[in-house]
Amino acid sequence: MIGVYDFCGHYEWTFAWLEREGGETLVREYWDKAIHQDAQQHATRLIMGKGFAGMREYWGHTLAEEEAGYAVSEKDGVLRIDMHECPSKGFLLHNGLHQYPDYCDHCMGWIGPLLKRAGYVVDHQHNHKGRCWWEMRKDDSVEEPSVPGKLAGDSDVRLTEDWDPRDPAMDTYRGSNHPDDKETGAP
Amino acid sequence: MSGPECEERRDLPYRDTKPVGAADFYFAINATFRFILERLGMEGLRRHWTDLGQNYFQPVGENWRRQGLPGVTAYWRAFFAAEPGAEVKIREDEDQVVVEVKVCPAIKHLREAGREIVPCFCQHCFHQGEAMAARAGMAYRLHGGNGACHHVIYRNRDGIPPQNLAEIKEAS
Repeated sequence: MIGVYDFCGHYEWTFAWLEREGGETLVREYWDKAIHQDAQQHATRLIMGKGFAGMREYWGHTLAEEEAGYAVSEKDGVLRIDMHECPSKGFLLHNGLHQYPDYCDHCMGWIGPLLKRAGYVVDHQHNHKGRCWWEMRKDDSVEEPSVPGKLAGDSDVRLTEDWDPRDPAMDTYRGSNHPDDKETGAP
Repeated sequence: MSGPECEERRDLPYRDTKPVGAADFYFAINATFRFILERLGMEGLRRHWTDLGQNYFQPVGENWRRQGLPGVTAYWRAFFAAEPGAEVKIREDEDQVVVEVKVCPAIKHLREAGREIVPCFCQHCFHQGEAMAARAGMAYRLHGGNGACHHVIYRNRDGIPPQNLAEIKEAS
């Protein structure tokens, strides 16, 4: 049986398997069709129906279930998530699993299209070490990403000692809904 | 994590910091099967399951080859202890291990959430299990399905009839 205890391991392995079968096009289709539109239909219902409140409800449940180290902040027109210990990437790092070039892309792969349907865009950075941050705003917002500490205070992951904004491996998304929108390297 | 629970997880090839997996990931497993079936057909889906068993689960097959049936028993005991909602009884005899799944945690969670289950869902247990068993010179056969089933892992492949896929129930 294929189980959920090591889900992130065979999930990441499957990305590489699909890439061999049908290239990156099939991998992106998988994140959108299978994960966003099928597996995460409960997230879609919550976020489409309740907006920021739905995001809080969805990520509150799922990140607690996965025992993530995270913080959620909300101020006028923006919801921010600071992920200090991603349970998913952390599982891969802990077990030395690396089949697909950038596992972290899967989050934007399913969350991006979902938020697009709901009328939101995302500013996001991940450092491939289990830390990332997200800011969700309505798609007509003209706001720039927040400066470190302004929205989340001490919970802002960018204030942690090992967050290096000049890290050449840092991936950055601005006002995005698609996994291929990223810029790699110091912004 | 400490005590017997921690001891059991040592028999798994990949270990997490939490004792039990998140049940909602069964949604993604089910959705993955549906996606591959739609895009690559039944042959592609069976190949996915077999490749998983041969590659991602290679450490399991290797352990079974080294440890024999006690390794099989230890693996499945640890595996189901880490799956939320599983009810399983495992019996080891001289020539086989029988895993009696009284409550399949995946089917249970998918049903409770009202998800449409891929009809061939239960076949993955055979194809993945047979790939792991073959690496150890063992044979893997599956009976039942759709929420309750028997897995039989034979010490030797000799004389074991091929799996009759019709004996694996469709899930609903």
